[in-house]
Amino acid sequence: MNSIFKYMGAVGISALFVGCVPAQGPSPSIKTPTLGTPIGIAEYGYPPQSYQNKIKNYFSNKIKRADRANYVFSKPQKAYKRKGLAYGGDVDWKGWLVDVDVSIPSRTGRMQKSKPYMVLFKDSVIVEEILGRTHKLITKVK
Amino acid sequence: MANFNTHFMVGATASAVLSGTLLSMEVIYPPQAVMAFALGTFGSLMPDIDSDHSKSIGIGFTVVSLLVTILSVFIKSSTYSLIEMWLMAGVVFSSIRFGLIGAFRKVSKHRGMFHSIPVALIWGVVTAIVMHMFFGLNSLISWVYALMMSWGYIVHLILDEIYSVDLENRRIKKSSGTALKFFKLKTSVDKIQNVIIYAVLFGLIIISPDTTMIEESVFSLEAWRTFTDILLPYDGIWFFH
Repeated sequence: MNSIFKYMGAVGISALFVGCVPAQGPSPSIKTPTLGTPIGIAEYGYPPQSYQNKIKNYFSNKIKRADRANYVFSKPQKAYKRKGLAYGGDVDWKGWLVDVDVSIPSRTGRMQKSKPYMVLFKDSVIVEEILGRTHKLITKVK
Repeated sequence: MANFNTHFMVGATASAVLSGTLLSMEVIYPPQAVMAFALGTFGSLMPDIDSDHSKSIGIGFTVVSLLVTILSVFIKSSTYSLIEMWLMAGVVFSSIRFGLIGAFRKVSKHRGMFHSIPVALIWGVVTAIVMHMFFGLNSLISWVYALMMSWGYIVHLILDEIYSVDLENRRIKKSSGTALKFFKLKTSVDKIQNVIIYAVLFGLIIISPDTTMIEESVFSLEAWRTFTDILLPYDGIWFFH
């Protein structure tokens, strides 16, 4: 009986490990490159349009007290992201990345230091947001 | 030395306190807090995997072998057929759970370097690397999970040291000082072990994720302000919010 509980516990803990798999974002529509499309654009798509409003709308459902949030945007830059090594490590996204600093008040109303996010775009659609300024699986292209 | 149940209870309590605090500070979200709690509790059982007949070695190796099996299935799921995958999973699981455990029992010694602070840190850094590089989690969450793993591990070591004081006979047991240690230099094998452990630790730190976010979110003046903000009811009203 004890060993059954032991194995059930082990399976449960392993299931929790698997539970940390990041959720899939909406899949972007991929434009088919034509003969005249420059190579850079064919690979990364066009820079995102009105990205500031899109990011604000996106975060309005993602973070607490988003209505009182302050945003500082950087310019979009090309980047690509690899899958985690557990999923093969292949490049699964190539597009435009916008660094954003978001500051929100704490639950007591004190304005907190801003948090950096990387917002990933594909053809002007937000694919995913990642907390932090860097990630080992993301390469920013200069 | 505390027994398995005591380690489990104290480890789970300490993990609940820390993950609950991080949740209140809005460093993590509720699902991440559950994972953090589980990792802290798991970490609190890990030091005793060097004891041949403890429950921890069985649980530890079962969890690790299941984890590696799941990872290998993830990696090969798009190329292997079902039969190939089942066979591979069986081989991977058995070779770790029943093969590696035997080798580990031979080389490990209870209360050796597995009961030490650098090994607690190694477990944490490995957790951060796996979460970041294998599962693609952001650096903050990867380091929060690492913190929980090392926290649970160190709570175990502290508990072992507390249990080495015999309060009734008012004496210190022989085991005192063997759990919460930075190094062990009794024999030449111990010295070599220490060098390897610290080399592994520094090597892992070099490839670990960026620490800026965890420093700012947990170990900064801003984090301290957030903690003091939420410590007591900000409007002075208790429980009726």
